[in-house]
Amino acid sequence: MNRYSLAILMVSLLTVSNGWAQDDELTISSWGGSYVAAQSEVFFEPFEKEHNVRINLRPYNGGIAPLELLENPGHASWDVIDMTESDALAACNHRLIAEFDRSILHPAADGTPPRKDFVRSSFFKCGIGHLSYATVLAYDERAFAAIKPNSVADFFDIERFPGKRAIQRTPKGIMEWAMLSYNVPVRQIYDLLSTKRGFRLVTHRLNQIRDHIVWWDEGHEPVELLREGKVVMASGFNGRFYDARTNQNIPITIIPDGQFLELSVWTIHRQARRPDLAAKFIGFATSTERMVAFSNTLPYGPTRKSAIDRIGLHAASNASIREHLPMSEFASNRRIRTDSEWYSGTETLRNRWFNEWLNSAGE
Amino acid sequence: MNESESSPAHYGVVTTILLLAGLGSTIGIIVSILAIGFLEGIAWLNTEFLIAPHERIQLETRPLILALVVIGVPAVGGLIVGFIIYYFVSVRRPLGPPDTILVVQTRGTPQPLGSGIMSTLAAMISLGCGASVGQYGPLVYLGSIVGSLANVLKLKVPNLQAICIASGVAAAISVSFNAPIAGMVFAHEVILRHYAVKAFAPTTVAAAMGFIFANVVFDRPPLFLVVFEGIQHGYEFIFFALIGILGAFVAVGFSKGVLYCQNYASRSRIPAALRPMVAGTILGVVALQIPDVLGIGQETLRFATIDNAFEINELALIIIAKVAVTILCLGFGFAGGVFSPILLIGILFGALCGSVLDQLQIVGHSGVVPYAICGMMAATSPVIGAPLAMILIVFELTRNYDLTIAAMVAVVFSNLLASRIFGRSMFDIQLAARGFDLTLGRISAIISYGSITHIMRSEYPRFHPDDKIGKVAFQLAHIGRTAGIIIGDNDRVVGIVHVGDCTGLAPTTPLGDVMNRNTMRFSESTNVGEALEAFRQSKYEVAPVISSKSQDLLGVVYESDVISEYRRVSDRIRNEENEPI
Repeated sequence: MNRYSLAILMVSLLTVSNGWAQDDELTISSWGGSYVAAQSEVFFEPFEKEHNVRINLRPYNGGIAPLELLENPGHASWDVIDMTESDALAACNHRLIAEFDRSILHPAADGTPPRKDFVRSSFFKCGIGHLSYATVLAYDERAFAAIKPNSVADFFDIERFPGKRAIQRTPKGIMEWAMLSYNVPVRQIYDLLSTKRGFRLVTHRLNQIRDHIVWWDEGHEPVELLREGKVVMASGFNGRFYDARTNQNIPITIIPDGQFLELSVWTIHRQARRPDLAAKFIGFATSTERMVAFSNTLPYGPTRKSAIDRIGLHAASNASIREHLPMSEFASNRRIRTDSEWYSGTETLRNRWFNEWLNSAGE
Repeated sequence: MNESESSPAHYGVVTTILLLAGLGSTIGIIVSILAIGFLEGIAWLNTEFLIAPHERIQLETRPLILALVVIGVPAVGGLIVGFIIYYFVSVRRPLGPPDTILVVQTRGTPQPLGSGIMSTLAAMISLGCGASVGQYGPLVYLGSIVGSLANVLKLKVPNLQAICIASGVAAAISVSFNAPIAGMVFAHEVILRHYAVKAFAPTTVAAAMGFIFANVVFDRPPLFLVVFEGIQHGYEFIFFALIGILGAFVAVGFSKGVLYCQNYASRSRIPAALRPMVAGTILGVVALQIPDVLGIGQETLRFATIDNAFEINELALIIIAKVAVTILCLGFGFAGGVFSPILLIGILFGALCGSVLDQLQIVGHSGVVPYAICGMMAATSPVIGAPLAMILIVFELTRNYDLTIAAMVAVVFSNLLASRIFGRSMFDIQLAARGFDLTLGRISAIISYGSITHIMRSEYPRFHPDDKIGKVAFQLAHIGRTAGIIIGDNDRVVGIVHVGDCTGLAPTTPLGDVMNRNTMRFSESTNVGEALEAFRQSKYEVAPVISSKSQDLLGVVYESDVISEYRRVSDRIRNEENEPI
């Protein structure tokens, strides 16, 4: 052993002992805006106090590319990631996230085991679904004084409802909405999208609004774009729009038609530095009590039956929050449930098509 | 022929009603479960074998594997189907609605249960592997298998087998289309060919039970959902009628193609067991370019109702390709029906008509939906021979009154024309080729089917050419007959004599001098209808039945027996059609 390597050994020993001296740290990657604000209030701060841990937040905006980057040496490590279910499935297939151990889940207050308390669809091989959210279409009330947009087809109708549309820069959602605008029944959407003709129809629909699209990447953008009057309609997450309307008094109305339902999934990165602490956090955040607290802050649906039964009034405004939940019976009858298996299997194809379409813009 | 046909009912009215209703609902429930199992089985195979676009798209980034799957699956499926049909189905061809119609109409014995099950299994594999054949034909047959099982109960209810088979068929159509009214009408229109109250009750119960079971217990999705605002212009009905007329040609062309190909295949040198594999391979090659031809084509069916989903030349190409591969698959022995492929061909044809109209831009129209539906029904109803059931299927599937009226117009014109230039249905043409010709009605079909041997007599006076006519005339008068058969030394028929020929001649004249050597002869393949016609033109009331193989004399047939048989059949039909409970 030469002096050089000895020096390295010394330094690393120092680093490790230094780590021990400090509080425990947990790195969580989640979405921004009012969503992460609510998460901080309901999950992160109480967890930090209870377990004497410091939580480092890292921004994450979906996809599996950021996780692939983490594989490279020298990148910071993530412990817990809040992913969409289709991303979670794809990441699991690519072995980027660890298999999920169900024993970390807490039983309900009355002792009902998690296996029975969680809705069945929330169990994933590499994660646990913790809330359902809807990607919805919404419009600025000020932009349409007379007739209001009421359906997915109206979103694509530039003549009747002129103005810019804000759409997330991803093929997700927009493909399904294009299909719905052709009156394709919800249960056949993914079958038709599995054909070249389906892709062609989507392209045709998108071409009709091509010059009127403003792309957004982060979940808080659509609300801002609508507030600033830069767009008249936007796709976005139901909780963000609710928050904008209720807490910020921005006149945004959600179109009930064609809400796009998905689960948000807690996952643990395969190379997490603190898998033990990550597991402890997921157990804490998916307890009935925390789930209820979160849903009372933002109208996202909990995945525990015991939590669904306990949802009451919106914490800030005291308005009933139940009817704003994505799975509420007050929502639309054309609700799209993501076909995550199809999503993870067509990732490459969809992205290729989408990028080709983006690049052909302006022609 | 069944013995129970002439025996009176052994039960009271209440018991009979309860029996029929009980049988109807039991059959309805069993058929419902089996039909859903059949459909789910196909869906499962389609998923596992990557035939469904939903799964196939996941291979889109690996074109070589995709090509192997698209060609390999139908080819291997074809091999398995060919093997099953050849070795396990007694008649060595897939069973379907014509077999059901034949059994019900002739009160014959159904094909062995094992053959029926294996044929159904072969159909499931055919459809599961993407063969371009229909699922409803096998489902109808499945329904009839369940219905015919009621025979084991040995209930003393006249005409029970036919009623139970019809109930099974009604339930099968009811479950597969989610259309109980159409199912009930289909059973009468296609299988029973009458609307007697006695059959009406159990078929309706079966159709309703099947529907309820499928919808309430299993929560099956509707087959076909379509959003339609209504017909915008009155003159569009003229176009619907035109589509009906053009649709008749599509239907006739398709049916003739299938029949021709079946004929051609049976004469070809490719071994029967290997034919489906040949068809499967060709299908796969075509599907590489035009994936719409694979399987039932649920997605293509839906696209046809979307404006501008296809270019006009693309539509024409898919129609031609689908017709060609369906004719090939059916002709070369894949097990399956004609219903689903012709539905798809028809809806694409209707969409083509709608698109052409749209391109011409001479008049406004209500979009592609009503044209697609009209085309679908105009092409399908002459092939199936069920105009009423077709109209009801549109009504029950779309729940849209405007669309139903439009489809009705198309169906009527299409059926009128097709029945003139082709026949009532493809099933009837297939049955006619097997000797059961329904064109002139049920009585004529039944008496013209099968052999005359069941009314042949083996006890009869035998005369020799050397017999004296006095003795012959006396003998004939004694048994009350006017003609007799004359048999030579080698036990061969040499002539016939009528008592009228003997009048005024010396009683000692040998029979050989007066007999008529041009004897009318029947064989074991002669049927009652032919015999009736032959006797009508002959003065002799008796005719020998001679084996066409050995030339041996099998027996004789008397005109009176033929007339009795005719009466028996027509009485039976009349009773069946007017039977109260």
